[in-house]
Amino acid sequence: MTAGWYEGDTRFIPGHYQPGVLIDLALGRGLDSHRVLRGTGLFHDDFPSGTVRLSPQQFLQLIANAWPLLGRDETAFLYGQRLLPGHYGAASQALAQAAHLQEALEVLVEQQALLSPLLKPRVQMDEGQVQLAWLDACGCGEVQRFVLEASMAAVASACHWLAGERLPWRFEFRHARPRHIEQYWAHLSDALRFDCPRDRMLLPREWLHRPWPKGSATAARVARQEARRQLDTLGMEASLLGRLHDHLEALIREPLNLERVAAAFGLSPATLKRRLQKHGTHFQALLDQARLQVALDLYESRGYTNDEVAAYLRFNDTTNFRRSFKRWAGASPSALRHVLGLVS
Amino acid sequence: MPALFKLHRLKLIGLLVAANIALLLHLAAGDPLPPTQWSWMDIAGEGGSALLVLVWIGLLLRGRPAGQVTTLLFLGLSCLFFSLWIDTLDEVIELPVGTRWDKWLESGPMPVGFVLMTLGIYHWHREQLAISAQMEKRERLFREYTLFDSLTPLCGADYLRLQLQQALQQARAEQQPLSLAIVDLDGFAALNRTFGHGEGDRVLQTVSQLLLLNLRRQDLLCRLAGDRFVVLLPQTGERQAREIAHELGAAVAALAYRSAEHGERVPLSASVAAVMAMQDDPDSLLERLNLALARAKQPLRAQRA
Repeated sequence: MTAGWYEGDTRFIPGHYQPGVLIDLALGRGLDSHRVLRGTGLFHDDFPSGTVRLSPQQFLQLIANAWPLLGRDETAFLYGQRLLPGHYGAASQALAQAAHLQEALEVLVEQQALLSPLLKPRVQMDEGQVQLAWLDACGCGEVQRFVLEASMAAVASACHWLAGERLPWRFEFRHARPRHIEQYWAHLSDALRFDCPRDRMLLPREWLHRPWPKGSATAARVARQEARRQLDTLGMEASLLGRLHDHLEALIREPLNLERVAAAFGLSPATLKRRLQKHGTHFQALLDQARLQVALDLYESRGYTNDEVAAYLRFNDTTNFRRSFKRWAGASPSALRHVLGLVS
Repeated sequence: MPALFKLHRLKLIGLLVAANIALLLHLAAGDPLPPTQWSWMDIAGEGGSALLVLVWIGLLLRGRPAGQVTTLLFLGLSCLFFSLWIDTLDEVIELPVGTRWDKWLESGPMPVGFVLMTLGIYHWHREQLAISAQMEKRERLFREYTLFDSLTPLCGADYLRLQLQQALQQARAEQQPLSLAIVDLDGFAALNRTFGHGEGDRVLQTVSQLLLLNLRRQDLLCRLAGDRFVVLLPQTGERQAREIAHELGAAVAALAYRSAEHGERVPLSASVAAVMAMQDDPDSLLERLNLALARAKQPLRAQRA
């Protein structure tokens, strides 16, 4: 595993993909392209050629410029609604032709590098519901809220369009209830919860396989194969942080430390440490995030008790586990299970 | 707004030429003082004031369309600038003893400038009254440009909250009912996808004008978010508010909106709801309004499903 991932400074996001959508929105509102592109080292005249590639960092800078200029409250939603299925080659076609929600989510996860380069979608299903959680893929920093609002609006809006009806998504956010709550009402839903342990969208499972009128099985299959080939050519399908998250989650019951993980990624511990620093994070934070995701899934989907979760995650005693959990989630397991409505 | 700046190019050139002629006159008649004799305090004070007046002129010309008020304010400020400029020149160029014309150049334009500014501000005041009359139903007794909506000629949610706060207090003090109505366009997301977001923006602008036409003088229309509009209805009970809301919905449905590109008819409809303020603060009232709207939309969703 030497390459196959992108980092904050990898220039691979085509300028006419998501960045183009944001620039068009800004120009449509009468903004000057120089102000929007300030500090990115890019010029608007280069975009129409279709050869401009942005690194996630440049894209984040673009967002940081445009956000306050366009208005902090509404912009992320307006931008998000234009994102998907989008015009990102075969990946977009595969999404637009999806036969039902499950297929669309599969495409979204598979083609994350092209469809959602800044946030990693994490899909989990149990008997009752589908959950789509969003994890930071590139160190979004201060524009994290923008990227999150946009990603959720993108998926909700695309599902609405492709399904021909509004899907009853429920939304959970880690941040507190924002002042501009009316934007969430108008653009997402009334079913909102804040101060939650993760940023995610939830839907009853019965919506997974309802056929979508715009879907076409054959066209979708062909587009998906084509999209896979495109990813192979690109040589990367996930971000370094995303890859690390998957790796940690998969081996969550094994003893994990920086040295071992670095070795698995073909890096020296010092190099991995430096690269994580570049993304504004560190190994322990990633490990905590992975453990938190697994623990929450165990509580919710399998109805595990604290003891069982602690044992699953190889904690020696439950007190120790509870203390750690509080550090990951900002609240004790019992408080969180209360919030999640899982009180036993 | 570079376009506005262009409009005023002649004015600016005139001012710069006048300032230059004054400089040349001084240089021709007198001798520059060596910097050791400069009074830095005076230069900073007078020169700094001249610069600031120049900044005012720049902001004025950038921000205003041409017209009587702009011209008066510009001429007034220009006279002020000219006086201060001559004052500054005196500090660095020594004229022969007994020269009088420089005193005229320095003191003459100042009173003229003040008279012109006064006239300009008077007409500006008249202009503001006229504009305020045009802003009827879009703002109430309080203006804050930072709360203007960037898309429609209305104010946004923050302005609504501010107004609501005041209106609730007033309604309580006067024991008058106060209601809110909400109008939400149906299928707006699909409209955006089908006709393009530019068309969606035009629909919002058109609908906001249409709603304004259907309101009373004391009402206030704001765009809450996306395709949701809220009307603040002072001295209005729940029944009347509901009536008004339904009329607004009917007006939207009856609007023969045509797309800009091909002129085809874009059918519009809206879901509406209304609530009357009880013991609410702005946030809880807006929340109840949102719930009422969700209930109003339910049959619509059931029908589509």
